[in-house]
Amino acid sequence: MAGIDSLSAAQIAAGVAAGSFSAREVARAALDAVGRRDGSVGAFLQVSADLAFEAADRLDAMRAAGEELPPLAGVPLAIKDNMNLVGTRTTCASRMLADYESVYTATCVQRMLDAGCLPIGKANMDEFAFGSSTESSAFLPTNNPWDVARVPGGSSGGSAAAVAAGEVTLALGSDTGGSIRQPAALCGVVGMKPTYGAVSRYGVVAFGSSLDQVGPFGRSVEDVALAMNALVAGGRDPRDGTSQDCHADFLEHLDDPIEGKRVGIIPAFMEAAGLEPEVKAAVESATRALEAQGARLVEVDLPHLDAAIAAYYVIGPAEAFSNLARFDGVRYGYQEADCANLSDQSSRSRANGFGAEAKRRQMLGAYLLSSGVYDKYYYAAQKARTLITRDYEAAFKAVDAILMPASPRTAFKHGEISDPTQMYLSDLYTISLNIAGNGGVSVPVGLGADSGLPVAAQLVGPAFRDRELLVFARALERAFGTAVVAPAFAGEGGELA
Amino acid sequence: MALTEAEVRGIAEYARIALSDEELLEMTAYMNDAVGILEPILQYMDEDVSPTFHPIGELSNVMRADEPDDARALSIDDALKDAASVRERSFRVPSILGEGGDR
Repeated sequence: MAGIDSLSAAQIAAGVAAGSFSAREVARAALDAVGRRDGSVGAFLQVSADLAFEAADRLDAMRAAGEELPPLAGVPLAIKDNMNLVGTRTTCASRMLADYESVYTATCVQRMLDAGCLPIGKANMDEFAFGSSTESSAFLPTNNPWDVARVPGGSSGGSAAAVAAGEVTLALGSDTGGSIRQPAALCGVVGMKPTYGAVSRYGVVAFGSSLDQVGPFGRSVEDVALAMNALVAGGRDPRDGTSQDCHADFLEHLDDPIEGKRVGIIPAFMEAAGLEPEVKAAVESATRALEAQGARLVEVDLPHLDAAIAAYYVIGPAEAFSNLARFDGVRYGYQEADCANLSDQSSRSRANGFGAEAKRRQMLGAYLLSSGVYDKYYYAAQKARTLITRDYEAAFKAVDAILMPASPRTAFKHGEISDPTQMYLSDLYTISLNIAGNGGVSVPVGLGADSGLPVAAQLVGPAFRDRELLVFARALERAFGTAVVAPAFAGEGGELA
Repeated sequence: MALTEAEVRGIAEYARIALSDEELLEMTAYMNDAVGILEPILQYMDEDVSPTFHPIGELSNVMRADEPDDARALSIDDALKDAASVRERSFRVPSILGEGGDR
């Protein structure tokens, strides 16, 4: 019998529906893979075996009763630990929420469970999603399955690593400045940030409310399309005021040819300082692969994208400061004992509950929102946002998708980037999409010629055209092959009995 | 103009984050680095465009009748479950004003 990591989401669901194996056997195999592999990877903060078996038994009972099974029946799922799921803690990888028990379930998680996924566990992340390496987790580092001396990227590093190591088939992440696409690139898996508003954020701990979006990781574009179907099923979520009705079948046109489609390239992006030669070469080869399938390359100019990083580090910290003000140690979260008064309790609880980067971002946000500073930076950043959005709108009159790098470099070593402001440049190619709101997907395009580590290209689409975006991602996959489990972990445990 | 330690101390008080003297030094250095990378944004202040505060335009607040919704409301037990300090089905806090007093 096959190992769990050799099967796609569709194959697992079909196998469960056909009775080739039970959902309980899948749960057992996935948990065995986690048990054998996660000591070296560190993708999980919690393993929710009981919930996985309960979900599996419900599916097996449905099959026994002759009922039709949902489309992702039995597919193992990792959930980023900023998403609430009743029966688990939701820690945001922070001491602040180390003991926080979820009291309700996030819509995105519920929709994946309704589609039949088995919740294997909660995945590690940068604390409160502040970071690009998962090194700011208060609990443990996550290692890149392709080289455990290196980081998986972040902030959804646990989710990306769990998929890359074959511990799960699908994972959920959140992306505020690149936190799905950059770790997907560094771990060699497919990661999609849908258009802002496409997926409900209800029950996801907020970081930057005008930037945050939830999306899936998988080892194939088809798996990601299946996850997107589940996430948008049910349409608009009334519990998230920004949620839009994006109901669509992401599988329906997935294999459509791209012949005659127009793909935008941005020459200035390929000359940016900090872009590693092997990443540049890989993105150029992705460009040629799309051209070979009949796409027409069109040079586009996005003149205001230079402002994206500065705009992001105004808007993001300002929104984070506002959102994280709720963690005062009273209703939930870490509380310092024996404080003289409420103000002292709040200041000391926040000082000892938050890690260094979470404090830095909030301090920056507090400064940017203070009197006299707010007018200077915040308004300027929101004006730059208008111009960046207009740049994308103009570009998408001329092209159907834009191809660019996802991360300027391959996975770096633990501790290699210690200067926080240098770390911020990791999101050079991803940040502008969060500012404009458009969808983007990181697709593996082989291994770097110098490092032997995964390299990725990023495809960007017009707002709310995420289904069409995956058609381009599938075209890249046709050329470069489906992502594979990191060789050091493939087949280790996880046998379907 | 560089932020001084005294200014950063003031921001920390506003942000309700207690900083040790050593942390204050590190934070001041960071704040000045971070504000430095934000400088390019200042040139956009005089752009003749409206600011965009949100990727989705024309959003409005979600309003409903001011009535309890039992299906959505947390039970008191659930609401108190994650609190570090509880007394008689209430969140327990230290004195709001001054030093000490009844907790």
